[in-house]
Amino acid sequence: MPASADVCPGCGATVAAKDNFCELCGRQLAAAQVSADSTVAVTCRGCGSSAWTADGYCEQCGHKAPAGRDHVEIDLGVVAGVTDRGRRHHRNEDAMALLCTQTRAGPVALAVVCDGVSTSHRPDEASLTAAEEALRVLTAEVRVGTSSLDAVTTATNAAQRAVGDLAQESDDAPATTIVCACVTADTVTIGWVGDSRAYWLPADDLGARLLTRDDSVGAELVAVGMLTEAEVAGSSHEHVLTRWLGADAEHSEPHSASFEPHGLGAVLLCSDGLWNYQPSASGLAELMPSTALANLAEAAAQLVEFALDRGGEDNITAVLASFPPNGTPSPPQR
Amino acid sequence: MSAADFSVEIDQNEFLPAGAREVNAIVTVTSADSVGGKQPAGAAEIIIVDCSGSMAAPITKLIQAREATAAAIHAIRDGVAFAVIAGSNVATPFYPADGSLAVASAATRDAAKGQLRRLRATGGTAIGQWLQLARSLFETRDDGLRHAILLTDGRNEHESADDLTAAIAWCEGVFRCDCRGVGTDWKVDELRQISTALLGTVDIVPDPAGLAADFQAMMQESMAKQVADVALQVWTPQHATIRFVKQVAPTVEDLTARRTQLTPQKGDYPTGAWGPSESRDYHVCIEVQPGSVGGPEMLAARVSLVYTTPDGPHTLGQGNVRAIWTDDEALSTKISRQVAHYTGQAELAQVIQEGLEARSHGDTSAAEDKFGRAVEIANESGNVDAAGLLSKIVDVDPGTGVVRLKAKVADADAMKLDTQSTKTVRVKK
Repeated sequence: MPASADVCPGCGATVAAKDNFCELCGRQLAAAQVSADSTVAVTCRGCGSSAWTADGYCEQCGHKAPAGRDHVEIDLGVVAGVTDRGRRHHRNEDAMALLCTQTRAGPVALAVVCDGVSTSHRPDEASLTAAEEALRVLTAEVRVGTSSLDAVTTATNAAQRAVGDLAQESDDAPATTIVCACVTADTVTIGWVGDSRAYWLPADDLGARLLTRDDSVGAELVAVGMLTEAEVAGSSHEHVLTRWLGADAEHSEPHSASFEPHGLGAVLLCSDGLWNYQPSASGLAELMPSTALANLAEAAAQLVEFALDRGGEDNITAVLASFPPNGTPSPPQR
Repeated sequence: MSAADFSVEIDQNEFLPAGAREVNAIVTVTSADSVGGKQPAGAAEIIIVDCSGSMAAPITKLIQAREATAAAIHAIRDGVAFAVIAGSNVATPFYPADGSLAVASAATRDAAKGQLRRLRATGGTAIGQWLQLARSLFETRDDGLRHAILLTDGRNEHESADDLTAAIAWCEGVFRCDCRGVGTDWKVDELRQISTALLGTVDIVPDPAGLAADFQAMMQESMAKQVADVALQVWTPQHATIRFVKQVAPTVEDLTARRTQLTPQKGDYPTGAWGPSESRDYHVCIEVQPGSVGGPEMLAARVSLVYTTPDGPHTLGQGNVRAIWTDDEALSTKISRQVAHYTGQAELAQVIQEGLEARSHGDTSAAEDKFGRAVEIANESGNVDAAGLLSKIVDVDPGTGVVRLKAKVADADAMKLDTQSTKTVRVKK
C-alpha cells in the first residue's frame, strides 16, 4: 500500500500530512534522494563489471568508481536523474534532489536541479543546500495541500534564504541557480531562478517545448528583440546570469509556470551542461529513447552520456519526471 | 611478518596525453629495521668450491680458495645448516662427506675448516652438476632461507650449455646463489646466467688474495636475510599488457619473463630474500587501453609485496599505479625524475654490455659508439663507479668528448666492467 498522508503504512498510527517521518515508529513517509554522495556503484561504467576493490577501482578494467558527487544516479521510478562532473571540471557543482510521495490528491513527483555559480564561493555547497532545502519545503507544502504554484514559490524562496545564510561575509556569497518541478496527476508546475531549464517532452514527440526562460543577459536581449536566439546561442551573453540564489542576489519573486498536459510525457529538468549541446526542445525529445517513460533512469543516463560525448565542458544534470506520476512510489534506493 | 615490516612507494607521472597507452612507475620497496620478527626462518648455506685441475695453477688459487671458504664458514651463525661442495667435472659432498647438512656450532665449524686442507684440485668443470648437488643437499631439510656461494676459475667445459641451463632451471626458486670468478679464465655470461636466475650477484676477484674478505662479506650479508621468497605481485586491468617489470636498484635485473601467472590479470615476480633496512627499486611498464580525457581515473597496475606461508599469501605492502588522461600539456609532459633516471641506468647497463660484445668481436667503431653513450649516461647520472670502470677501457678526449678504446686493456678490467654493468645509482628524491 502506498504511504497515506493520514495513516502510517508501517504501524497504522495517525500522522500529520506535513510529517516526513512517522512520529510513532519512525518510518520515513516520503524518502528524499539527494545527489550528496554516490550511491554504491553497482556496475562499472567502463566495462559493466560489478566487482570493486576496497579503494574503489573496478577489478576488471581498473576504472575508478565515481566518488562523492562526481557521478550520482537516482532512480525513484516515476522520477529519476543523473548528475555528472563532466570532462573538464574538477568537481560537480550541480546538485539534484528527488522525491515521490502520496497525497490525498494522488501521487506527486517532486524534483529540484541546482547549478552552483562557478564564479561564486563554494558553489557546490550552494547548489546542494538549495536543492535539499527546496525539496524539503516543497514536500511539506505539497503534503499539506498547498497549491502547486504556491508550493514551488515557497520552496524556491526557502532555498534563497538557505543559500543566503551560507554567506559568511559580504564578499563571500555562495550562489546557485534553481529549477524545481511539482508533477501531479493533472498538472506540471515549474519554479526557477537562473538558467537551469525545464522542458516538456510529450510521449508523441509533438509539441515538445521549453517551459522556462533563462535569467541571462542573452535571454533578455532576445526578449526585448535586440538579438535573435540564434545570435545569442554560444555567445558570451548566453551565460551571463541576471538572477540567481545567494546573499548577493536581488530579492524578487521566483518565476513559476504551470500547465495541464493533454497526454503522457516527461518533464526534463537540466543544467546548462546538457542544454548547451542541445537547446531545442524537439532536439532533446529526439534524444530520448522510445522506452523513456518506462525507464526514466536509463533515459536520463542517455542524455548525460550525450553531453559527455559532445565534450562534457560543464557539469551535467538531467532529471526526468513522468506525467502523470503513475503508480506507487518505488522504495528508496539502497 | 606484518605489513609494518615493509613499505611500498610509487613514483610516477599519472597524467598522460590523449591516446597514450604506456604507463611507467618506479616502485620502491623498503624493509624496516627489523623484519620477520625475532625468529628468522631456518637458514641453510652451501659453499661450492671449484676444485678443477686449473685451480692448482698457480697453487695460490686453491690455497686462497681454502682460506676464503674458511672465512665464510666462520661467518655462519650457530644453528644454520651448512655444507661444502667440491666441484669439478663431478660434484662431491666435501663436508659433511655423507651428503647431509651440518648444523653450525663451534665444533662443526672447526671440523669443516680442519677438512679444507684436504681439498685437492683435479678434473674438469661441470657447474650444472655442482648446482644439482646443491639443490639435493638443500632439500634434505626444509629451511626457508637457502643460499649458496659458488666459486670458479674456469669455463663450464665439461658439460653442454644446455646441461647448465637445465640445471639452473631446476634450481630456480629453490635457493639463491652468489657467483664469483677468480682470475680471468672464466666467462662472465655463464656466471651471470646463474646469478640472475638464482637472484644473486656476480663479481670478479682478479687476485686470489681478495677472496677471503669477499666470501666473508657475502656470508655476512646472507646471514642478515630474515625473510625468504617475497614476491612482487602485479595486478593489471583487463586488456592491459605488461611491457616489463625490472628491478632497477641496486642492480638492473629484468624480471619480466619470471612471472608466475596467478590469474589472467595477476602475476608474481620473485624478489628473493630480504634483510632489515633494505631498499630496492622496480620499474613497472604497462600498456593499457587509453581512457578518455576527463574520464575516470584508471588503476593501471596495483603492485603488492606478497609473502606466502603455508596458511596462504600475506600482503606486506601495496601501491597503486594510476593513469589519468588530460589535454593539459603542462601535466602530461612532465616525466617522473625516477622513471627517467632508471630508464637511463638500464640503457647504461645495456650499452656497456653491447660495447664489450662489439669489442670482443674487434668491431672498434661500434664499441666506441656504445662506450661513448655509456660514458655520457654515467657522467650525467652521477654513476661514479661505472664512470671509473669505463675509464679503464676507454679514453675520453677532454676537449671534444670523443671516446676511444684504449690500446691495451687488462682482461680483468673488462670483466669487472661486465660484472658491474648492471649496478645502478639512485636519484636523490
